[in-house]
Amino acid sequence: MNGVPLSWYLVLSAILFSLGVAGFLFRRNIITIFMSIELMLNAVNLTFIAFSYDLRQVNGHIFTFFVMVVAAAEAAVGLAIILTVYKNRGTLNADDVNSLRF
Amino acid sequence: MPEGYVPLFIFLAVAILFPVVALILAKYIRPDVPSRVKLEAYECGIQTASDSRARYTVRFYIIAILFVIFDVEAIFLLPWAVRYQVLGWFGVAEVAVFLVVLAVGYVWAYKKGALEWI
Amino acid sequence: MLDTVFFYLFTLLTLGGAILTVATRNAVHSALFLITSLLGVAGLYLLLHAEFLFAVQIIVYVGGIMVLFLFVIMLVNLDAAAAQRQFSRMWPVALGCVALVGLELFYFLGKGEPAFRIAAPPPVPEPTAGNTERIADVLFSQYLLPFEIASLLLLVAVIGSVVMAKKRI
Repeated sequence: MNGVPLSWYLVLSAILFSLGVAGFLFRRNIITIFMSIELMLNAVNLTFIAFSYDLRQVNGHIFTFFVMVVAAAEAAVGLAIILTVYKNRGTLNADDVNSLRF
Repeated sequence: MPEGYVPLFIFLAVAILFPVVALILAKYIRPDVPSRVKLEAYECGIQTASDSRARYTVRFYIIAILFVIFDVEAIFLLPWAVRYQVLGWFGVAEVAVFLVVLAVGYVWAYKKGALEWI
Repeated sequence: MLDTVFFYLFTLLTLGGAILTVATRNAVHSALFLITSLLGVAGLYLLLHAEFLFAVQIIVYVGGIMVLFLFVIMLVNLDAAAAQRQFSRMWPVALGCVALVGLELFYFLGKGEPAFRIAAPPPVPEPTAGNTERIADVLFSQYLLPFEIASLLLLVAVIGSVVMAKKRI
């Protein structure tokens, strides 16, 4: 390992993930909630790459690559859903879109 | 860090520092005599008509979606391209299946008029 | 030594961007700070010898997904939304989650170095080929089926998003 040990990357990724969780839970704007999900995905990707480097394997890179592809597809469809919600309800507040709530 | 990337970062640092330093330096050197006409957005043009945050039409978004999807597709082709010699006809067949599936989506979007600007 | 300096630099970019993403009121600023954060993560990929993913992160995430986000922010009128309260009633839960992670971290940091030791990596010889070549070799042999399924996923994404965003199909 070069000067930086694996655990530093893991700590960084844990902090990044918890920031994403916090943003997901306490923001009300759907678009910002979506951005928090991207933060969490990036934290997980960073863990994959750090382990992949530590074990000198390339499988983690492939996983991260597929996560990015899925994130692109998810962003395209998810943002289209957000647009449709805005068109029908006129709001992007997550607390106001509650027809499915039990 | 793989060796050989350090010059890249030196270049990046210079690229970021140069405009910052130039702007700050210019602020202290130049004479500063503002007047109302000078402070307008365009000294010799038309006035701005509306806020720049006006809503766009959704057609831009459809084009952007198609761009992202086919961007990802192009990224998938890159590993194949660098290993073209090794993979041979097997790789060509794999990528052909991949491209045919995506071409179906492209043809569908084209037929539905998603790419037309009307 | 140089690696450590770069690690701290990119960590600063990543975490600073992430905190400001979560904390700013304006959605456009939020997106710009998220771009900063993603660029920091890309730098960390470079530190970890993942050059291919460094490029993919910048091209797909920063150049593609974040542009989509900015388009949607421009498409919906957020001026009214920015004026009202931004943070929901769930903030105690969020604070609890963050506190839990922080507690865990400081517990293990207090235990010192041995707590972070993972199983020793197997002695694998250093790779000879470049990063992209190795990814290509694994992607087109071991992960062949996921590669083909990814094309189906992208097809579904094209169809789904066009159906949802277009006015008249």
